[in-house]
Amino acid sequence: MNEQEIATKIQKMICEKLGVDPEELDNDVPLFDDGIGLDSIDSLEIIAGIDEEFGVDMTGVGKEPFYNVTSLAEYVANALDTDK
Amino acid sequence: MTTDENRCVVTGLGLISAIGNNVSQCWQNAISGVSGIKKAKAVDTTDCYANLAAEVEDESLNGEEKINRVSRLCIKATDEAMQDAGLSDFDNSPKAAVIMGSCVGGVSNAEKYYKSGKKAEYVSEIPISPIANHVARAYHAGGVVTNIANACAAGTISIAYACDLVRSGKAEVVIVGGADALASVPFAGFLSLHALDSQPCSPFNRCGGITLGEGAGALIIESYEHAANRQAHIYCDVLGSGVSGDAHHITAPRPDGKGQMCAIRRAIESSGIKPSEIGYINAHGTGTAKNDEAEFLSLHTIFDEEDSDLSVSSTKSMVGHCLGAAGAIEAVFAIKALTEGKIPPTVGYTQEDLARLSSRAGKLDFCPNVAREKSLSTVMSNSFAFGGNNASIVFSKGTGNIETKSTRERVFITGIGIVSPIGNGLDNYIEKTLAGTPLESESNESVIDKSDYENCGLKNSFCRKLDKFSRLQAVSGMTALSDAGLTVNDDNAEQTGIVVGTSDGPLSTICDYQQDLVNKGNCSGSAFKFPNTVYNAAGGYLSICSGIRGYNVTLTNGAQSGLESIAYAVNVLNSGEEKAVLATGTDENSEIVTELYKKSGYFDGGNFKLSDGSTTLVLESDSGVLKRGVKPYAEVLGCGTADCPVEFGTLSGSGKALENAISLALEDAGLTSDDIDGIVGFANGLQEVDKTESETLENTFGERTAEIPVFNIHKVTGEGRAATASLSAAHAALILSGKLGASVESENLGEVAASELNKLLVISYGSGGVYTAVVIAR
Repeated sequence: MNEQEIATKIQKMICEKLGVDPEELDNDVPLFDDGIGLDSIDSLEIIAGIDEEFGVDMTGVGKEPFYNVTSLAEYVANALDTDK
Repeated sequence: MTTDENRCVVTGLGLISAIGNNVSQCWQNAISGVSGIKKAKAVDTTDCYANLAAEVEDESLNGEEKINRVSRLCIKATDEAMQDAGLSDFDNSPKAAVIMGSCVGGVSNAEKYYKSGKKAEYVSEIPISPIANHVARAYHAGGVVTNIANACAAGTISIAYACDLVRSGKAEVVIVGGADALASVPFAGFLSLHALDSQPCSPFNRCGGITLGEGAGALIIESYEHAANRQAHIYCDVLGSGVSGDAHHITAPRPDGKGQMCAIRRAIESSGIKPSEIGYINAHGTGTAKNDEAEFLSLHTIFDEEDSDLSVSSTKSMVGHCLGAAGAIEAVFAIKALTEGKIPPTVGYTQEDLARLSSRAGKLDFCPNVAREKSLSTVMSNSFAFGGNNASIVFSKGTGNIETKSTRERVFITGIGIVSPIGNGLDNYIEKTLAGTPLESESNESVIDKSDYENCGLKNSFCRKLDKFSRLQAVSGMTALSDAGLTVNDDNAEQTGIVVGTSDGPLSTICDYQQDLVNKGNCSGSAFKFPNTVYNAAGGYLSICSGIRGYNVTLTNGAQSGLESIAYAVNVLNSGEEKAVLATGTDENSEIVTELYKKSGYFDGGNFKLSDGSTTLVLESDSGVLKRGVKPYAEVLGCGTADCPVEFGTLSGSGKALENAISLALEDAGLTSDDIDGIVGFANGLQEVDKTESETLENTFGERTAEIPVFNIHKVTGEGRAATASLSAAHAALILSGKLGASVESENLGEVAASELNKLLVISYGSGGVYTAVVIAR
């Protein structure tokens, strides 16, 4: 699975689980604060979703990977790479 | 000094929790610092990072599976309180009320429903509504019977409302309290939010999260006169109370403590006392970092400046967080502390913790680990809930200085917001009502789309969090505010309140959540969906999007809750500081809801059409209306609620309560039945319901029955439960204001000239035999 495929899956997961309009969510828009407006509860859901989808545990990870879909995909791709 | 007419006294106490099966056991263990927190038994904790709970150990509760554990806990506590008060039966007195708080009600029945392959026998006890019904049936309470569903503040708001009812003369004696049983939905939900502590919860200390508990607390509250006449033993007086909304976040408290402080200050001010008179506060003290931080801040801000000697403790460290029961259980602990002169400790501090505590506690004494002897004259109990609901109440050996308004406020309907299966908005409703096209399908749903959000100025980033139940409420609420031309700003936010009425709450979200847990395990709950499983989420979201920070309550007891919300709101306008209150009725329909109603036999024969929706009425006191110079639709002249409790899910045999509700509403309005020009009824195609209405109207109006026009909106809108009850009141206001034209179609007399209608009676029913009647006038 390449990073783009991972990003597409994350995008789909965020829209399904968090009720985000797919039209608003591209890979680069900031997820929190002034972007899509996600909050701390949503981040818990993203952590659960990424664990479920990719088997990658993001519990306790700092804020940076949660900036946008691209940064999440990058983190997941790296974690999957390291696992190999 | 409070006059005797304004005194509310506590004459009975009942308690069941993880540290005892009655008041005496619980109290002895509490002052001995015994914790009831152990490994959870009632919920499956496989793969969960936390596995503790504070569960009740009482074998007498086992057995009668027909009644959900939450009601069995509740009955156990109310039995003790009634015996303690020397009471046994109210003989259907309309001045005997039951107000019960709960957060999750019989949600464990939803688990049984899905695990049993959807057995119908589990359906009727899933909602919160049956709890108060069971209590009312046990002692034949014939007055206001309802449940307060404001999550963790429910128990405290119940007591506050009970006292408002007594002071307004609507009740003489009230069984009040709260109950919740440990269940997988709240366990998995708090787990998904990472809000459960993996160790026993440690409020005002480690603050690693909550430990869920279960139990029930009950109090008998009476007017002083009622108690004195029967020479009852009086524990203490209930002084003032404060209820407020944060308008901030659905789960987290405001970090600035503003909402909490508003509730605490209101409680102190309405008691007519100084903060320094309070010697002990039973704190909310859940043990989550966010709650405890905000609570430290609120307590320091209000009490540090005073020359106070204040002790604070959280009994949740021993009985866990009992959610809707918490406020009632903690009220009992606070009253015992007051009367026994002993303060139960907050347990769980190590020597190192104690050193850290002293730097955070400042002047306040948090009673770590060991009970403290202290002579007390006045105590407080605080509860802060999901949805940003805050409630605070004061108990005292003295009588305080409670003032009530010398004149009763006139209350007007100044705004209407409608979401219904026949479309949204007032103009649309008028158009469709005039067309009169009956619904065809047996199951009908309201639809909300992007244009509705845009019309209300609601952003997608906000609305995406809301489930259907909350969306219905948000749109009807915001539309009503806009229709009233009422702008909520810093000046009036705390003087504006919300009273949500609902029959079934967010039933689809609850069942959907439960079904997921049954399929995937309690470790897999969704953090995103969980906040929407609480009944008061809709009222909480409405406060967030409107900025309303005053009174905030969600009540639930069948369809009539949508009309009872008006009666409740009138009481709030008369007893508190609010100038405007949004009174609503909201219920949702979905595949799941239709399935549950089918299982209960609602579609077997008859002409029942299930639907949903939300109606919000903006009610304003005359001073508010005059100040704003708006033209109201109509005036609310009087309200009455009465119960003749029969088995939940039935209605037969309860008609007397409808007669009583009508009499009470007429009395409240200063009218007789001869003054009523028309009726907006509740017949909905169920034989039992329709028959109860027609028989009672005949009993009430005698020979005039045939001449009085009866209006009914159910054919056009379906039975949207609370939404339809509330819409019936809106319909009356529209008739009276001439918005439905010069002549209106009645059920029994054809076209009637609107100009001949000056006073309309609106009635509604709730399963189990509770009714509300409201008189609305031109």
